[in-house]
Amino acid sequence: MKEITAVIRRDKLQETKKVLEELGFPSVSIQSVDGRGKQRGMVCDNDLDPDLPDKFCTSVKLTPTPSTYAIEHALPKVALFVPKRMLTMVVPDDLVTKIVKSIISVNKTGKTGDGKIFVLPIEDAVRVRTGETGGEAIA
Amino acid sequence: MKMIRAFIRPEKEQEVVLALEGAGFSSLTKMPVFGRGKQKGLQVGPVHYDELPKMLIMMVVNDGDVTKVVNLMMDKSRTGFVGDGKIFISPVEATYTVRTGEAVL
Repeated sequence: MKEITAVIRRDKLQETKKVLEELGFPSVSIQSVDGRGKQRGMVCDNDLDPDLPDKFCTSVKLTPTPSTYAIEHALPKVALFVPKRMLTMVVPDDLVTKIVKSIISVNKTGKTGDGKIFVLPIEDAVRVRTGETGGEAIA
Repeated sequence: MKMIRAFIRPEKEQEVVLALEGAGFSSLTKMPVFGRGKQKGLQVGPVHYDELPKMLIMMVVNDGDVTKVVNLMMDKSRTGFVGDGKIFISPVEATYTVRTGEAVL
C-alpha cells in the first residue's frame, strides 16, 4: 500500500477526480491548503519585474495575506502563499505508477505552480465499518 | 527523501517560513488544523478548550537536510510553554514534479 499526496492547482480538481474515477479509483480525500515552492509564492510575473504592466500578468495577483503581521513583528517581509488543493489517497502498490502518470497528464500546463506528487509507504489500513485490514480495506 | 510534518503555533508560522526561506528551503505546504496533546487541551478558568488551533507545515526534503530543517523549525517556534507543537518525520519513496513529469524533488 502506498499513500499518494498530490498538491495541485485548484481549477484542475474536477478533471483530476474524473480521471481517477475512470481508472476505477474514486476514493480520495481533498483538502484546501496553501503552498509555496521554488518561486516563494510569487505567482505574478510583475512581482519579479515591477515595471511590467498589469496586462502581461499571467495569473491573479495575490495580496499578502497577513499584511500587517510583518510590520507588527518587525519581520523583513511577508511570506506569500498560493492556494492549492491537496489530494490524498491510499492505493495498492501496483496502481501507483498508473495513478501518478494520469494525475501528471491532467495537471500538466508547463507553467510553474503545477504542483508536486509524493508517494509514501503505508503499513496498514482499516475499514472502520467492517474492521477489515490491509488490502481489503482499500479495495 | 523525508516528509516533515510540523504542528506549530499559528502565530509563529511566518517566522518559521521566513527562516526556512533564508536557509534555502522555500517550498512547503501549510494548512490550519485543530488538535490537542498531553494536556488534553487548555483550561482557562472555567472554560475548557478541547481542540486548539495549530498550523501544520508539510515539507519534503532530502535526507541530509532533515536535521537542519527540524532544528530551524524548533528554534523559531519554541516559546517554552506547553502547546509548542510536534514535528513528525516519515519516509517518502518518490517525488514527482507535475510541470515536467520528472521524478525529482
